[in-house]
Amino acid sequence: MDYMKFFSKKGDVRIHFNIYDIILNFLILSIATFSSVKIIVWSFFEANWSVVSKNLALFTFGSYPYHDRWRPSIWIIYLLILCFFTIFNKETKKKRRPLVFAWGLFVPTGLFLVCGGLGKYPIPISYLGGLSLTIMLTSCSLLFSFPFGIFLALCRQSELFLVRNISKLYIDFMRSFPLITVLFFGQLLIPLFLPNGVEVNRVARAVFAFTIFLSAYIAEDFRCGLQSIPVSQIEAGKVLGFNDFQITSLIVLPQAFTIALPALTNQVIGLFQNTSLMSILGLAELLGISRSLLANPEFIGSYLEVYIWLGLIYWLFCTIIAMLGRYFEYQLDYDGNNR
Amino acid sequence: MRISKGIFVQITLAISLFLLIFILFNNLYVNLINKQIGFTFNWLLRPAGFALSESSLNYSPSNSYAWALFVGWINSLKIILSSLIFSTLLGIIVGLFSKSKNKLLRKFSSIYVGLIRQIPLLVQLMFWYFVVFLGFNNSNNDHYSHFFSVSNKGINILNLNLTTEFSALLFGLSVFTGAYIAEVIRGGINSVPSGQWEAFKSVGLSEIQGVFYIIIPQSLPAIIPGLTSQYLNLAKNSTLAIAVGYADIYAISDTVINQTGRAIEGFLILLLSFLFLNLIITYAMEFLNRFVIANQNRRIR
Repeated sequence: MDYMKFFSKKGDVRIHFNIYDIILNFLILSIATFSSVKIIVWSFFEANWSVVSKNLALFTFGSYPYHDRWRPSIWIIYLLILCFFTIFNKETKKKRRPLVFAWGLFVPTGLFLVCGGLGKYPIPISYLGGLSLTIMLTSCSLLFSFPFGIFLALCRQSELFLVRNISKLYIDFMRSFPLITVLFFGQLLIPLFLPNGVEVNRVARAVFAFTIFLSAYIAEDFRCGLQSIPVSQIEAGKVLGFNDFQITSLIVLPQAFTIALPALTNQVIGLFQNTSLMSILGLAELLGISRSLLANPEFIGSYLEVYIWLGLIYWLFCTIIAMLGRYFEYQLDYDGNNR
Repeated sequence: MRISKGIFVQITLAISLFLLIFILFNNLYVNLINKQIGFTFNWLLRPAGFALSESSLNYSPSNSYAWALFVGWINSLKIILSSLIFSTLLGIIVGLFSKSKNKLLRKFSSIYVGLIRQIPLLVQLMFWYFVVFLGFNNSNNDHYSHFFSVSNKGINILNLNLTTEFSALLFGLSVFTGAYIAEVIRGGINSVPSGQWEAFKSVGLSEIQGVFYIIIPQSLPAIIPGLTSQYLNLAKNSTLAIAVGYADIYAISDTVINQTGRAIEGFLILLLSFLFLNLIITYAMEFLNRFVIANQNRRIR
């Protein structure tokens, strides 16, 4: 009956040979070996990496003024140092407070540096491009969409009819449309809704669009966290004499955040990847820069090199975000389940 | 008369939202008057004047804008349905791989899922289009090319010709969504208690029989909600077709808006057509869900 096995698992026979397994393993191994040899040969002998090596600065800064490139570089180095200290700081809890403080300062520092603080003249943020623009879009959108998303999630749980239903309508409405239509709205339609003479730059409009889109998703993830908190927790808070605000901020939200954290990490990773959509709408972020590079006659045809390079960068940053998420899970694990 | 706090909050919220919307639409009204474009849908009946790279229905540039948009909507439906089928097959296969006894298969599925989920879909789509499909040779003079051939002109299967854009989009979306569906399937299989595995082994069913007759039917209630949200995501992600030049509803709306300057009206049509797509998928999946639950109840009885 069990034709998949030659020897049964019973008894002392440790090795159970299975002819299908052996053929399968052989096939998989040979395909894997063949393709990895081919990839190695291609990447060392056939690929022309000049499109990457000549344009590293373009990939990082875009068309940012040459003499001011130290500004975004300091900011990116700041980010990398923060990530390093956060990920490899599992033992010392004393450093947690300065670390949180440094993370809070991350976006303001970036805006201050990139827009020309410490300099003689202001620099428009629309000069920013490449990786630094991707990071700027991601971090600014996160900064705004987290509070708004949490606010929406709390409103969604409210006892007041109007508050609950308006936020429900907003969340469902936003979640039913593709991100690109929301970004399109941000780039082309927002100027029509603004009073005459008021202009908002493209990066800010993109951040606005990402914020209104992402906060609906964050609210939905947060709602799962809120719903899984037992009522006894709120009753315990009432017994201790807390008011509604204290119960929400000190008891409900921290626990809901812990539960929602894995889903929220996925949202952050999704946001980082989705900033690439702005290349369709004409911002020169990481993918946009690559598209304009590939249109350059000097580098025509080196699609594979550029896409592998892009894939590597995105993969690296997504892995860093996932590691940060896991670190926060570890830190917020009050019950000690994962230790 | 005393007004309670809750009612006060709600009234304030309603008034402020109303004010906000009023101000925004007033701005819109003023801007539309200033630009002298107004708000009409008359332009829908004028000839579109642009050609489409792909249309399943009869279309020529002399047809109206409305017809062009409808053709785009049908094109969207086409790519969504076909990549839905392929991604489901791929997802089921890879999801089963991840529960396999073979270590290499498990490794393969975890590498596949990990890699695909860490790279943006847009980069993947461009990879499939520019590197894979435009990288194929033009020549298709193999002796079996009548039945099946792949070239930089697309895929030919017998009399069916898939354009390059469609094939690249189909592969990109299926491979991407397949990774997410594999995770859904894996979670669904995990939700079946391990006693069921032991039970089907003890009545003498083989692994494959057991998985298909015992495990998968029981995991369906856990799988279908996740599958529904993945299908909705697939429908939303299909709008990235514009990056490879496939004429879907978003790409055509974009062209129409650029040509006519009717941003508000075009955007409204885009939103409505998407609402309709979402409704179709949601109701189809709800029907499937009800069918599965009814089936299971019958089996239990």
